[in-house]
Amino acid sequence: MMRPAHLLLRGLAYGTALLVTFVCLYPFFWMLVSAFRTSKAILASPLRPWPESLSLSVLSELAEIGGTPLWVYAGNSVLITTASTVLGILVTAVGAYALVRRPDFWLFRAFRLGFLATIMYPYMLLVIPVYIVMYKIGLLGSYTGIVLFLAVGPIQFFLFEQFFQTMPKSVLEAAVVDGATEWQILFRVVLPMAMPVVATAAIITFLLNWSQWLPILVVSKSPATYTLPVALLNLNGELGVNFQGIMAMSVLTTLPVILFFLLAQRRVMSGMTAGAVKG
Amino acid sequence: MPTGRRPAAPPVGVFWWFVAPFALLTLVFGVWPIVLAVQTSFTASATALQPNAKWVGWANYAVLWSDPIFANALQRTLLYTGLAVFSTIVAALLYALLLQSVWIGRGRLFFKVAVFLPVVTPDIAGYVVWRWLYDQSFGAINTALDALGLPLFGGIASTSTVLGAVMVAELWHHVGFYVVIFWANLALCDKGQSEAAQMDGANAWQHFWHVLLPQLRPALLVNSVYALIQYLKTFTVVAVMTKGGPNETTNFVSYYAYQLFDQGRYGEATAMATVLFALILLLSALAMHFQVRSRLP
Repeated sequence: MMRPAHLLLRGLAYGTALLVTFVCLYPFFWMLVSAFRTSKAILASPLRPWPESLSLSVLSELAEIGGTPLWVYAGNSVLITTASTVLGILVTAVGAYALVRRPDFWLFRAFRLGFLATIMYPYMLLVIPVYIVMYKIGLLGSYTGIVLFLAVGPIQFFLFEQFFQTMPKSVLEAAVVDGATEWQILFRVVLPMAMPVVATAAIITFLLNWSQWLPILVVSKSPATYTLPVALLNLNGELGVNFQGIMAMSVLTTLPVILFFLLAQRRVMSGMTAGAVKG
Repeated sequence: MPTGRRPAAPPVGVFWWFVAPFALLTLVFGVWPIVLAVQTSFTASATALQPNAKWVGWANYAVLWSDPIFANALQRTLLYTGLAVFSTIVAALLYALLLQSVWIGRGRLFFKVAVFLPVVTPDIAGYVVWRWLYDQSFGAINTALDALGLPLFGGIASTSTVLGAVMVAELWHHVGFYVVIFWANLALCDKGQSEAAQMDGANAWQHFWHVLLPQLRPALLVNSVYALIQYLKTFTVVAVMTKGGPNETTNFVSYYAYQLFDQGRYGEATAMATVLFALILLLSALAMHFQVRSRLP
């Protein structure tokens, strides 16, 4: 039997947690319901908790945004996010490994500090000089430019760095004793061992790069290389508000990452916050 | 072959190849643009993008120094950052404590996932939805207030409520990240100490203040640094929801700099970016001094 005071406290605790959860989730719910309702119907009763009908007619309205078909934006999102994730994970894993193996080498140490400095730069102001760089090396408006820019990020680097730092030295030593070359050690010993962190880093990179918008907006020359978030921003900025369209587009932008996150929530939450607090 | 002895550090040779792609990307898309930006901040805007840009020394910085809009934007940014960091830390700490308290049993993971969901939501989509939630005619918030007979909320349309409205949307997007860091730290706290405190008859407040809080130092420090850097750079929420308005009330430094870029005032914009960069570097250096790993979400 619980004492009444305990019961009250427990009720208060759950009440608060449910309230916070409601605030966290309501915007998603409202977005989803509004995507099925005409702008007129929403104006009449914004709070209605379920749509008048489950029609997908809004998708035909969204078939083209700013003269570019919707499927182009969706395809760009998948293509750019996947390519930048694969490239970024490969490059960052191997790079971080080398920096951990030879941390004393002055050039590597200088390079690591340089990397740390670049991630401090306000990214929204970095993209403008990046525009100039892209122009100079002829990658403006290209998928290549966007993918290369999105490939390297801080969270991936720290995940790998931390993993390699805590990897037991004896494994490497055994491989060296067996006469393995550094290439063999990397591909046959280190990377297979690093598979769990590779998976975590890949999922997190995918989620983060899916959300990117400013670099893509700046490097693009036309909507042909826009992703879903950029198209959503465009739609939201248009005169003559298509409210239902905006909500439907928000759903399309959000739904894939939410499903992905729910499938891998443990990995994502622990990965994104890993190393912040050392045990 | 020497066995049982720690092998000497391997020759650098092959590691060059391992680092090369990573280094190339960082140099081309990180270091080079920053150097360009700093360089541009010392040139005249009109010639900034030309090969032989006109060198003007500290003139752009001088313009900023005497620009009242910049002074206001900086003041506003610092005020907003201070308030937002404080709210984020307090809210995240309280919520993590609540979720890990004895009062919550079932549903812990559900609550944690729910508060983290907005963190992985594309910020554009999240802020677009909040922008419309605040809307006077389409929005759910004012309709609900109206139905309850409460006064309407100005949201992002009124100068007196816009900072609060923007901050709520940002808290919604970010706070889960900080909750999970506090959560991880709380899970590492020594249970024995808590039990001992309970045996000694410590009340909840004494337990929190003398037992938990000292053990939460790592998370407090890390979260404060992350939050500080993050809110100093507040940008997307402004770009999506307010465009710096109404009446400049949300024109933060990063957004103002971006506007100057748009107007072709490259010299001043990059000067402002350099100032903000220096500020963040300084804070990060301070943080590193306290043995914090600087890492940005």
